[in-house]
Amino acid sequence: MSTRAIEGLGRTRSTGMDPGALTADGISFAYPAHRFRNSGPTNTLHNISLSLSPGTSTALVGNSGSGKSTLVRILLALEKPTSGTVTFGSRDVQSGPVRSLRWYRQSVQYIPQNPAGSLDPRMTVSQLLKEPLRQLRVDGNHQALVAEALDRVEVPAGLTERRPGELSGGQNQRVAIARALVVQPTFLLADEPVSGLDLPLRDTVLSLLDSLVQGEGLGLLLVTHDLGTAARMCHTTAVLSAGRIVEQGPTGQVLENPASPAAIALVQASASLQLPSHVPAGAL
Amino acid sequence: MPTGPVLLKVTASRILALVSLVLLVGMMPRLSGRGAEYTILRARYSDREPTPEALAAVRAELGLEQGPVAMFLSWMGGVFTGDLGTSWISNAPVGPGITAALSVSVTLMGFATAVAALIAILTCTPAVVDGLRQRRRPASGALSAALTSLPEFLLAAMLLVVGAIWLRWFPPFGWKGVEYAVLPALSLGIPAGGLIGLLLSDAVRAAFAEQWVATWRMAHAGSAQLTVAVLRRALPAVLPQVGLVLIGLTGGAVAVEKVYSIPGLGRALLGAASAQDIPTLQAGMLVLMGLALLVGTLTTAARFVLLGPAVRFGTLPLSEAPRSGNRRHLAVPAVAGLALLLMIGAGLLRDPFTSTHARLAAPTFTLPFGADASGRDLLARVAHGALGTLGTALLVVLACLVIGIAVGLFPLAATGPLEVTNAAPPILAGLVVAALAGPSAHGAALAVAAVSWAPLAAHTAALAQEARAQPYVQVLPVLGVGKARIMLRYILPAVARPILRHAMLRLPGVALALAALGFLGLGPQQPSAEWGLILAEGIGYVERAPWAVLAPASALVLASVLAVGLAGAPRALALERKHDSNGVIQEPRRASR
Repeated sequence: MSTRAIEGLGRTRSTGMDPGALTADGISFAYPAHRFRNSGPTNTLHNISLSLSPGTSTALVGNSGSGKSTLVRILLALEKPTSGTVTFGSRDVQSGPVRSLRWYRQSVQYIPQNPAGSLDPRMTVSQLLKEPLRQLRVDGNHQALVAEALDRVEVPAGLTERRPGELSGGQNQRVAIARALVVQPTFLLADEPVSGLDLPLRDTVLSLLDSLVQGEGLGLLLVTHDLGTAARMCHTTAVLSAGRIVEQGPTGQVLENPASPAAIALVQASASLQLPSHVPAGAL
Repeated sequence: MPTGPVLLKVTASRILALVSLVLLVGMMPRLSGRGAEYTILRARYSDREPTPEALAAVRAELGLEQGPVAMFLSWMGGVFTGDLGTSWISNAPVGPGITAALSVSVTLMGFATAVAALIAILTCTPAVVDGLRQRRRPASGALSAALTSLPEFLLAAMLLVVGAIWLRWFPPFGWKGVEYAVLPALSLGIPAGGLIGLLLSDAVRAAFAEQWVATWRMAHAGSAQLTVAVLRRALPAVLPQVGLVLIGLTGGAVAVEKVYSIPGLGRALLGAASAQDIPTLQAGMLVLMGLALLVGTLTTAARFVLLGPAVRFGTLPLSEAPRSGNRRHLAVPAVAGLALLLMIGAGLLRDPFTSTHARLAAPTFTLPFGADASGRDLLARVAHGALGTLGTALLVVLACLVIGIAVGLFPLAATGPLEVTNAAPPILAGLVVAALAGPSAHGAALAVAAVSWAPLAAHTAALAQEARAQPYVQVLPVLGVGKARIMLRYILPAVARPILRHAMLRLPGVALALAALGFLGLGPQQPSAEWGLILAEGIGYVERAPWAVLAPASALVLASVLAVGLAGAPRALALERKHDSNGVIQEPRRASR
């Protein structure tokens, strides 16, 4: 796993260790019950186990309300699971104060829904990208790291002093991804990163993520409700339904022979779905 | 966020605020400045020299020598057994006097509430009629809003001139029969009723615009039926405000009782504050707090009765009263502001302190506003007073800005103090400060600042909540940004600008509150040219020289028009922007042609 294709970047991770896998083991989660509000749909998770490796991409699909975002929040240590553990390499990941999680956040980064909306409109591109470097106490020349990250997402270096309002939508999406990449993480967790985008922009962002996995050996967890995206991008797919993983395996197998009712319903609902082997590249 | 801890925090904060308020009142003797024993010595034993021994004897007699805890406990014990203490000045028990004054004040407030109810009904009748006839009209104009929002002390002075001096319909001073209550009740009731009426008519218009009204019409619901249903829908949203307005009457009553020489609680407190008679003030404050608590509880109970279980679960979307969104409404305050500027500009070059004119000289071309009782140029005094009053107001607003932002960023813990200060009229705060530290410009500023930060804090809290929900803030923990930095680097810049604008719009309102304190003698002292003070000087000569009242009063009226106009402005501008960008809701403008 240490054969991350980063030679082109001329740098190796400062730890020098095998970063290992990001594993969720037996995760359960329930919101604390309370009497004062009528309980709506509660996103609960039941005994979820999932393993991500560098250089592979995993799709997490499911209906809205199935618990996808909750699972991502737990993987990001923003939420504490009721039971179960998240481990990275050999270390336990416990949600807690910022300080105790800096090591983890350097290795596991996040691309939220509508990435461009996650940029503070008052900050310049350079300020936006330096913020995680400073706050996570990343070693090295920050200026160079920022330039390198922007280069990876093909944002021209001349834009560093602009603010999000002065950039195009596509450039903003790239900047948001660059901000996740700037700390040189091993894993990216992307929570429906393209759901709010128009089709051309969607294609650009997905291609970018794909090249990061294929070319640079990042591990990607792509949360999506679109099976087409999963089919195009991901080696493996996990189907989440009502807080349980009902199906998990190589993407082609899951989509071709869904076994669980939830997965069957999802596949049938995606009327336009075509399986990756029959699809010319970039058609979706 | 789980509800349980939130409710716990809010409740704890409320209890804490109430307890600290009681503590503040109980500790007043200890908090009162070092001069207390001098004051008492002079008031009670004018023949004795202020030797250290005599002063120590007074301190011992007043119980100032005991520790703070013992003093508080003995006071609390007294309160529970009905002993409100002994006056520092007259050495007589405080209880009977306060009880008598309270009965006068409660009678006055009863009359005032009746007037307010009448005015409120009159104000919101057009809204109901429009609703029944299915006409959509904008909410009432800024001018009527401004007139109903004149501060009580000013309205009282104006009604005194018109109703008692010019028309001679009612007696000007005293408290001997029903006819004596008319002008004071009007002074208190018109602004209160006008405000409630405006809020209610906005809520009524919003309720008539709701979907269910159309459904009821289809089902042939009668006018009476529909009116009752709409009122039932609109009232709960307004009730908390009604409670605040009624509590605010206690502050206004102080000024009104002074103007009409009514022997009520307000005047008793005013006398106690200027004489540094702390036990009387303590008793009065306690009674007023009880009154405020009673009003608050009653309005909350009324809301529960009207809404049923819905209020408990917060499931019912309360129709928020929409204020009129129209740039033209800014014309009235703009004209008022311009007139005020003109007046200040004309008067600044004149001399406000020298007595160069005849006593109470009538207005002439060279002396446009006439002269006051000392022969000083009133135009010059009003203009210079504007600078003093507005300058102090600016400092107060800046202080409120800092407190408001600091408190608003931690809204849950601040709920209790926020509610208490929001309900406390500036005049009562001024009474406390003046009693503790003596009347001064600083004291008045401090008092107004102490109760004026609440709206800014509430606004900050709302904006901060909005900012926290932004995706660019939600993502920050993943980037390793800690809580403190999120607050300072992200939330604060997001809220700073709108809050600053809001604070500046409160400037005229704060100036009016300062003038009210000056009028009551709780602010700057002679020969300072402060608006409230000029008005207070003039009111003694109102029969001979009405212009001595009219000059400061007109300046204050302009300031109130400005204050009310600006208070609605951020909302109006925001609405307008929204309309422009959507291009949908153009109704108010079309209808107002």
